[in-house]
Amino acid sequence: MTTTQEREDLLSELGLDAQNSAAIGRVLGTGRTERATERADGTMEATIRIREDEIAWDPAILVLPHGGDVELTVINDDKNTHACLLPSNGDKKFLWLLNHSKGKAKLNLDGPGYYWYSSPGGNDEGRGLTAAIVVLGEVPPEARLDRPDQPRQ
Amino acid sequence: MTVEYVDAGEAIDHGALSAVSGTAPAVTDNIDYERIKNARSESHNWITYYGDYDGQRYSLLDQINTENVKRLGPAWIFQAGTSGQIAGASTYAFEATPMVVDGVMYVTGWDGWFWALDAKTGEQLWRYKHAVPFDVSLCCGNVNRGCAVANGKVYFVTPNAHLLALDATNGKKVWEKTIGDVRAGESASLAPLVVKDTLITGSAGGEFGVRGHIDCWDLETGEQRWRCYTIPRPGEPGSETWPSDGEAWTRGGANHWVTGTYDPETNLYYAGTGNPAPDFDGAVREGDNLYSDSVVAVDVDTGEIQWHYQFTPHDLWDYDSTMEMTLFERDGKKLLGHFDKNGYFFVLDRTNGELQHVTPYVDRIDWGTITRDGKVTPRKYPDKEGEPVHFYPGPAGAKEWTHAAFSPRTEMFYVPVADVGATATRRRREFKEGMPYWGAAVQVDIDNMAGSVSAFDTYGVERWRWRNSHPMAASVLATAGDLVFAGTPTGEFLALDARTGEELWKFQCGSGHHGSAMTYMVDGKQYVAVPVGWGGWLEGIIPGMLGAGHGSALIVFALPD
Repeated sequence: MTTTQEREDLLSELGLDAQNSAAIGRVLGTGRTERATERADGTMEATIRIREDEIAWDPAILVLPHGGDVELTVINDDKNTHACLLPSNGDKKFLWLLNHSKGKAKLNLDGPGYYWYSSPGGNDEGRGLTAAIVVLGEVPPEARLDRPDQPRQ
Repeated sequence: MTVEYVDAGEAIDHGALSAVSGTAPAVTDNIDYERIKNARSESHNWITYYGDYDGQRYSLLDQINTENVKRLGPAWIFQAGTSGQIAGASTYAFEATPMVVDGVMYVTGWDGWFWALDAKTGEQLWRYKHAVPFDVSLCCGNVNRGCAVANGKVYFVTPNAHLLALDATNGKKVWEKTIGDVRAGESASLAPLVVKDTLITGSAGGEFGVRGHIDCWDLETGEQRWRCYTIPRPGEPGSETWPSDGEAWTRGGANHWVTGTYDPETNLYYAGTGNPAPDFDGAVREGDNLYSDSVVAVDVDTGEIQWHYQFTPHDLWDYDSTMEMTLFERDGKKLLGHFDKNGYFFVLDRTNGELQHVTPYVDRIDWGTITRDGKVTPRKYPDKEGEPVHFYPGPAGAKEWTHAAFSPRTEMFYVPVADVGATATRRRREFKEGMPYWGAAVQVDIDNMAGSVSAFDTYGVERWRWRNSHPMAASVLATAGDLVFAGTPTGEFLALDARTGEELWKFQCGSGHHGSAMTYMVDGKQYVAVPVGWGGWLEGIIPGMLGAGHGSALIVFALPD
């Protein structure tokens, strides 16, 4: 059995957790996971950033407790320009991220599942600058099927 | 010393970085039930899914006809290409029927896209994008079949089972309802249908073992009027066709995932239902499994099933019956025609469901037989664990969801036919919510296949056949110009002579056809529009075309000025 730490160590040893090490880009699915916080009015908040020379979003997986509105602080700590294209109901949200810049993004995500986002500038997209926002929870009770509870796992 | 960040501001709509103006004329403001009831009388528009409630996919426009169609050429092309990763990158298809109202086109795409276009020039007027989770259980493929228009709004469903009303002038959301449970494997793909002051929708997800339903929503508020489950609870009519001591009814599928037809005189909505789940393992669901693989005639005011007819009792071949129920009249009798996946053409009395006759419409059928008076005898089906069984037609059927057309001028049906078999090997699995629930390993034949556009009279007699080396997988359109339009998996868009089947014109669109062409007129000029985007459930339809380019264009044709 592989523990989380063993996995991180192995990725590091193999050079799969960084840009232009073993592989050219950073392998998807590596990186930290973090929960969003929630304000009293139900709006969720989180910060996502690109750290220097990592060319990856941190956290790689942002977890929202439920669907709804989320306000992100988006930071580029890198010395290169990137961008951010995020999923949201109505239209995708786009933000240019010059070197060492910080902006905001207001999103609405209305249901459980995971949503990809990326940096669609230049060659970023293929190099690991792809990450996920995961929305937990169930659909509203009125949208559930009228049947006894079913096995899920 | 701390260096202040450069202010990147607030994220903007991605569409702002394009030429989209964001506004469209208010052409849908006075579209109501009365206009939709008479939709064919305004054939310059296409204001309901099939062009009219009767499902005939027939237009009175005849400017483009058998004499001049050879001069048809592209007028404009809308390239839907999207940015960033899309859900199901290998499985999306462009399956929509565009709507047109007085020069404005409304068209839906896969993955929650909706576009309003200038129907004369192709200019994009506004767009809407719904955020769809990458991991939604989609059955089958990342697809959407279109929208409804009325009262200044447009309506559509999303893959994560939401129903949305958008302002037709700017694409802004007016209201939204969650209409299915994605955690249970439900999704949504059909075009809503406006009936009176309501919208009718249905669920998808039969391959994940859900309980199918048809829903009715208030057109203005989104409030639910009724829900009609297509699998009865124990004790309800039809429940005797499911095991009484088990849970089969709770996960039996029978989803309504293609728009139904409607007859204002009978006040009935004719809804096709999907296969029972699990698809191929019938031992866990003994009985006929009502109302799977059926047409259910639903009173639109109450949601009650008035009558039903089951095309494939106790289905063991994945023979959904969701596709169109075409309404027509013969000798003063109100009839319903249906080309089923099981390879047979059924004609029913639509006032009471009484069978008139049954006729095979594809060359190879060996899963079983159905006599002209409707007696069903299964012959080949997956019965023993691990034992392969080959049968015709395969699980995509002799015609999948894509639609036939009917011309009252010729009194002929035009059918996109698929003639290909498959092998299913029963592999029982325990049910888990949100997991595929097939009960077999399935391999569709990769060679030895054929297809056609076939013309049948209303008695089921074949009148002509246009043959193709691949199964047909796109809807057919008939016009008063005595033309039949059809698209092939290899990209050709065709015009055939409706009376003879002669090929009069074709255009290579660059990608396979798996959607529904339509026709309209603006400023006195007739156009034919076809969505071109090859994908979806290709491993079940034509696995030999899985490696073909996908495409994502809407191509509109017209005669030269």
